[in-house]
Amino acid sequence: MTDATIMYPRKPKRIKGRSIAVLVFLTMAALFFCVPLYVLIVTSFKEMDQIREGAMFSLPTTWTLEPWRFAWFEACSGLNCSGLRAGFWNSVVILVPSLIASIALSIVTGYALALWDVKWAGPFLFLLFLCAFVPFQIIMYPLIRLTVTMGIYGSITAIAFVHSVLAMPILTLIFRNYYKDIPPELIKAAIMDSGSFWRIFVEIILPMSGNILIVVLILQITSIWNDYLIGVTFGGLGTKPMTVHLANMVTVSTGTISYNVNMAAALLTAIPPLVIYFVLGKFFVQGIAAGAIKG
Amino acid sequence: MALRWSRITPQIALAPAVGVTLIAFVGAIGWTIFMSFTRSRRLPEYVIDWDNPFRQFKRLFNDAGWQISLQNLIVLAIGSALAIVVGFILAAMIERERRGEDAFRTVFLYPLAVSLIVTGVAWRWILNPQFGIESVLRDFGWESASFNWLSDPATAMYAIIIASIWQSSGFYMALMLAGLKGINTEIWSAARIDGVSLWRVYLEIIIPMMKFTFLTCAILLSLGVIKAFDIVLAMTNGGPGQSTWVPAYYTINAMSAKGNLGLASAAAVLMLLITLVVFLPLVALTAWQQRLARKGDTA
Repeated sequence: MTDATIMYPRKPKRIKGRSIAVLVFLTMAALFFCVPLYVLIVTSFKEMDQIREGAMFSLPTTWTLEPWRFAWFEACSGLNCSGLRAGFWNSVVILVPSLIASIALSIVTGYALALWDVKWAGPFLFLLFLCAFVPFQIIMYPLIRLTVTMGIYGSITAIAFVHSVLAMPILTLIFRNYYKDIPPELIKAAIMDSGSFWRIFVEIILPMSGNILIVVLILQITSIWNDYLIGVTFGGLGTKPMTVHLANMVTVSTGTISYNVNMAAALLTAIPPLVIYFVLGKFFVQGIAAGAIKG
Repeated sequence: MALRWSRITPQIALAPAVGVTLIAFVGAIGWTIFMSFTRSRRLPEYVIDWDNPFRQFKRLFNDAGWQISLQNLIVLAIGSALAIVVGFILAAMIERERRGEDAFRTVFLYPLAVSLIVTGVAWRWILNPQFGIESVLRDFGWESASFNWLSDPATAMYAIIIASIWQSSGFYMALMLAGLKGINTEIWSAARIDGVSLWRVYLEIIIPMMKFTFLTCAILLSLGVIKAFDIVLAMTNGGPGQSTWVPAYYTINAMSAKGNLGLASAAAVLMLLITLVVFLPLVALTAWQQRLARKGDTA
């Protein structure tokens, strides 16, 4: 008892000091995490004369939008000097069918495996679980042959197809885990009510999938937008996504390198997923947790 | 009639997924394994080389590039493991403090939303010897500061490790935060009453309780390391020389630059084997956890 009375007056003070130390540490760590983004932003608004002076952390003396304009309209990616915008539109055109195809395929599969009585559902789920971890390299060449045989190699369709194939195992597991908590009585009642597989899906399942759809949508938008390997492997001359254009732009260095243009190009590529992240961050966290823990 | 339809339709709906799994995963893996035992070069040859079926694997292990790749894989795995430590420290601090949780989490996680190609551009710029951190530190008076890591074969791998720690710490922080929140808060009050110090609570109670989370993180990290390709391409493109090659880079290089399908297939098969070695404990562990959970339910 006496111990407690001695402890109590001291405790608030000690915790306060500690919590200030923790906050200071966290703030410094946060600043360190922001350094690359900060450096990208200030460099992209500087003129090359100022960049040559060094002092990469200083703010631009004269702010200029010219690097951004140049990166968007004129920068060269390989032999093509029409800026990043071509890559941007390619990425948009890749994103839409990839999203629709990958989500449509896995939501139906997840729904069927979770709620319908399919005898081989267990082994199939286990197989999907294994597939989710397979390194892309081991299926890459066969997929190239497959898309060549299908006559789609080098097209947007091929990129969307490969994105859907690669995302299918993990997305199916995410949807299946979400749907398996729906009480089976609900489905039984729906079947009694002459509901068919597709009617139950459209009228009952889809309306209650809002949350998980947003999570999966964000997960897929960021991973498709940020993809490099699939785009560079399966994209043709005019269908390569923005990341590939950016990589070509910054690695091919003829003459003096315009660092400010490179930084502006990198930021242009990073802006769409960053906007989604900062606006819908909560769902993004759920998405990576769902995508990570699986099973 | 209705009942029969209700049995057949789900199976029809599953057909595309089954087809994709059997063709694009099972079939494709089988095809690549088959290729690794052939003498295929630029084009596939559908005959197993019975005289010397392991010729591609022998060539692989005699190739200095593959040896470097395997060494770098281990270096990268050990180095990136720091991301788990950083992630845990950040998560523990955020969870203890609670103030500004959302803001901190947002900042620590944003690198994950950015393409690794962009990450490479940013870090290459920071490590630029002429205008980057090196020149900033020299201006501050540290004349011998040397951060020209990317052009030195001995240090280029460390630059990749730093960039990947920056990129992935937030991810492990998010997983650890979820794990920490699952821990019963009564432990804290119990520890406080017993007068146990904060350090000991973490080291002796919290971390052992979170061993499953740590194991998950470790396995995800290893899988990520095996798949690491974009970050290497964006930071060094394998260079200087072959000093930052990793298996994923080696495989793609053997396929596209060397045009040697047999060798690339052998490398890909070994990548799959490494993945399995990492992955099997996870399967065992998940099965074990599920059995525990089931026991808990019946008890």
